[in-house]
Amino acid sequence: MARGVMLVSGGIDSPVAMHYMLRQGHELVAVHMDNRPFTDDSPLEKVVDHLAMLRERYRQPIPLYVVPHGSTQTTLMRNTDRHVGCVLCRRFMWRSAERVAEREGATFLVTGEALGQVASQTLSNMHSATVAVGLPIVRPLIGLDKQEIEAVAKEIGTYGISTRPGVCCQAVPDRPATRSNLVQILREEERVDVEQIIDDCVRKAIIL
Amino acid sequence: MYRRLRLCSNNGGYEAIPDPPLRLDLVAVRDRLEREGIAVVDARVMLLAATDPEVTVSRSGRLLFKTRDPAAAERAFQQLRRWLDLPGSEVDDKIPRRGGIA
Repeated sequence: MARGVMLVSGGIDSPVAMHYMLRQGHELVAVHMDNRPFTDDSPLEKVVDHLAMLRERYRQPIPLYVVPHGSTQTTLMRNTDRHVGCVLCRRFMWRSAERVAEREGATFLVTGEALGQVASQTLSNMHSATVAVGLPIVRPLIGLDKQEIEAVAKEIGTYGISTRPGVCCQAVPDRPATRSNLVQILREEERVDVEQIIDDCVRKAIIL
Repeated sequence: MYRRLRLCSNNGGYEAIPDPPLRLDLVAVRDRLEREGIAVVDARVMLLAATDPEVTVSRSGRLLFKTRDPAAAERAFQQLRRWLDLPGSEVDDKIPRRGGIA
């Protein structure tokens, strides 16, 4: 089976997506984009607990890269249009994951996204975010609804961890764009030094 | 006036919301906090201040305290009120209303 890099948030969906991939026998490396100070410590704590559970269940080491993302958020908020902030943020997450994949010899990326689950998870936003990377992206949950995902999360024991209290991402704009225009996204991104940001973040990543 | 502090939507912190919204000068707020020795991340549309507990300050005056302890949030709120000259809350009507740094 193949080796992939999976973005994990600490929410309900990503451990379920990871469970499906591990059940198929794929080998995974996890990447958590650490959004502090725009969140509290809870997302990272949840990810650590999810991984402990899934490592045990599937007898896989699943290395965890914790990539600092707060300074990227600050740079984006200071220099780009807030309306498209979530799409820009996702592009940096994907790029970081792809950089980790290069380092880890992984050939694909995985995410727990499900279509239309939150305002920013629309087809146009997913497209605008993922064209930033070249590796194939696997979305095991894409056609599932929230109830189906929650049922699996309860079955595998990750639901209780995911729903612990925590501070939501403070960088999410009041009205995130639901239909993004790639030309505008690229224009906004020109205002920041993409390569420098990614280099810095991945260099500062810690592996747990 | 600020509404009573309440848990935020994901129950991870306490938020204080002014009604009506304020129009804070975040540069002035940042300068004031830094004069108190508080480290501040300036994200232009909001500030993230390393008070105890940490707080997010929005231009509208919304404050989010990253703690699940209501007493700690209330203490930090009163501290910020003094530093930033913010209005009082509906549970504290002994304190005169003011307009905040604008």
